[in-house]
Amino acid sequence: MSSRSTLPAATLVLALAVGTLHAGFQNTAPAETQTYRESIPGTLVTFEMVRVPEGSTTINGKTVPVAAFYIERTEATWDMYDVFALGLDIPKDRGRADAIARPSQPYGAPDYGWGHAGFPAISIARPAAQAFADWLSARTGKKYRLPTEAEWLHAAELAVGKTPLDAARRDALAWHKGNASAKTHAVGTKAADALGLFDLFGNAAEWVATPDGPAVARGGSFRDPPEAIGPSARAVQDDSWNERDPQLPKSRWWLSDGPFVGFRLVRSDHD
Amino acid sequence: MTDKRINPVSRRTFMQTTAAASAAFVLPGGVYMAGADVIRVGLIGCGGRGTGAAADCLQSSDGVELVALGDLTPDRLAQCRKALAEQAAGNASFAAKYKVTDERCFTGFDAYKKVLAADVHMVILATPPGFRPTHLAAAVAAGKHIFTEKPVAVDAAGIRSVLATYEQARQKGLGIAAGTQRRHQADYLSTIKRIHDGAIGDVVSGQVFWNQAGLWNRGREPEWSDTEWQIRNWLYFTWLSGDHIVEQHIHNIDVANWVLNAHPVKATAIGGRQWRTDPKYGHIYDHFSVDFEYPNGARVLSMCRQIDGTANRIGEHFIGTRGSSDAVNVILGPKAWTYDKPERPISGYVQEHTDLIASIRAGQPINELKQVAESTMTAILGREAAYTGQEVSWDELLKADQDLAPPQIAFGPLDVPAVAMPGRTKLNRKWSEATTI
Repeated sequence: MSSRSTLPAATLVLALAVGTLHAGFQNTAPAETQTYRESIPGTLVTFEMVRVPEGSTTINGKTVPVAAFYIERTEATWDMYDVFALGLDIPKDRGRADAIARPSQPYGAPDYGWGHAGFPAISIARPAAQAFADWLSARTGKKYRLPTEAEWLHAAELAVGKTPLDAARRDALAWHKGNASAKTHAVGTKAADALGLFDLFGNAAEWVATPDGPAVARGGSFRDPPEAIGPSARAVQDDSWNERDPQLPKSRWWLSDGPFVGFRLVRSDHD
Repeated sequence: MTDKRINPVSRRTFMQTTAAASAAFVLPGGVYMAGADVIRVGLIGCGGRGTGAAADCLQSSDGVELVALGDLTPDRLAQCRKALAEQAAGNASFAAKYKVTDERCFTGFDAYKKVLAADVHMVILATPPGFRPTHLAAAVAAGKHIFTEKPVAVDAAGIRSVLATYEQARQKGLGIAAGTQRRHQADYLSTIKRIHDGAIGDVVSGQVFWNQAGLWNRGREPEWSDTEWQIRNWLYFTWLSGDHIVEQHIHNIDVANWVLNAHPVKATAIGGRQWRTDPKYGHIYDHFSVDFEYPNGARVLSMCRQIDGTANRIGEHFIGTRGSSDAVNVILGPKAWTYDKPERPISGYVQEHTDLIASIRAGQPINELKQVAESTMTAILGREAAYTGQEVSWDELLKADQDLAPPQIAFGPLDVPAVAMPGRTKLNRKWSEATTI
């Protein structure tokens, strides 16, 4: 089927592009032993994980310790999510049916037509992002998940420090309202931060796990003014994020009005 | 709780008709009279969109109540009640408007008649589109105001029926809004008003798109008859959906007709069924491309596709003698302009109900049935040009001896029509002929 033969070719290009970018920031990236590249079995899709050392951050005035973990170098891409959503890992002779709950077919264009291969996966409800991580964990044998808010914040503070970003640094690092032309951009096309991560701020805001709390996305997005992006940027999902889904019940997989939110996977050091 | 409330409506964008709001408007029995009492609403077609439309209606306006539900099957009706009850559980003002009782829930092919007889002023029509002409005619005959989902027909016979229904509704002064919600979005309204005022000069061409992944499929349960399987998977049968160009791409085609203030005179098209070939997808196509020719010579290219893993594109673009526009946000050229989007725009899915109900209360009901019938027919024109492989004119289609509904619609055995074959499929055809090309 066409979708299965064309996607890996596109992702190979992405992998090469990311590799090229990687070469460009070797001076600031952690040592090679502190990163690894994961392959999604049965596909040519790969992504890179970067180790974040242990430390602590402050949430609501309280110091929260954070154990070392790995975080995706870029926001999760459509190349990755499509394997899950479109069942590209299922052998052709088995059709689309397997035992795993997969995302529903979206109504409309979750990528808004802004770009797909190499672009951050957006318009995805947080439980769907978590389901993707669970599926990926089952496929790879490693436990991938969404970051806790403390993990995300700790990584962000190591990436750019705790003082607000100046305008030049924001422009170098991030797609924001002032430079993004009201859309997402391919991951890894701005400069890497001190951890070697791309697009932690701006482009797509990123889901974090908030057990028992509302759904939260951190870092700000292409929609936010430059002064509103950075480690402290925090958005809480409300009805407007899925307002135009014309169905009731509304989709639990897709957000009709959430093109500004994506995610980045993490993995605990010991998992 | 009292059953009589008077609640004026504050939000209206479609026209200035407040002067008429206080005037009593004498109408035939059963029709809601301007400015007084609660408007009681019935929902016919309790799927995801119908349930969503009912919720949108209740959210849109004060003084409306949902009182009756009708669907073909008990399970879909139960899902609808559950979803609405959950909505009501978290929202007191919604709960006060949700007044459905067991006695006013109806199932079966004739459920629509029972909803119409359940002391309602207005109905929401949201069944698969193949049933729409019948439901529209019955609702207008019963003197009800209507919110109708798009499309409003799937074939030439249906279009003729709906145009006749429009005339009757007009004579009765009934309000009809259609689910082409872009017509009620402030961004489209603002941009297209500028185009109509000459911001891009004379519109000479356009391109309209709905390219996306495939849609849902309900599969098949052993206890379902052929007919029930087809209706539950209605997207994939032309007699029920009109094919995806009619069912989905109508939104963008409607914008073209709106921008050009006209409907096309003829169409040439290609299309096919290349990827979605499994029998579970019935017999519709998965891609179309159409060249529509308008009376002033303007040409609009329409393109639609439902294939997984392909590039998404949904929207419109128009070129004029002095500029261009996406019809929704931006005008380029000497009169360049960008729509100033509010922080929290009002959903078109809600605004369409706000506008309809406000117009009914104002005693000057809007009637969009002819407009949506023409956009439906434009999409059918494109489909027929692709299915037949011929250039098809508007007049030819309007007169065509084309009725795609099975002769009897009842649970039981029902063949799947053959996939249309350009060069062999005829414009003049019945359901039975469509199965044996």
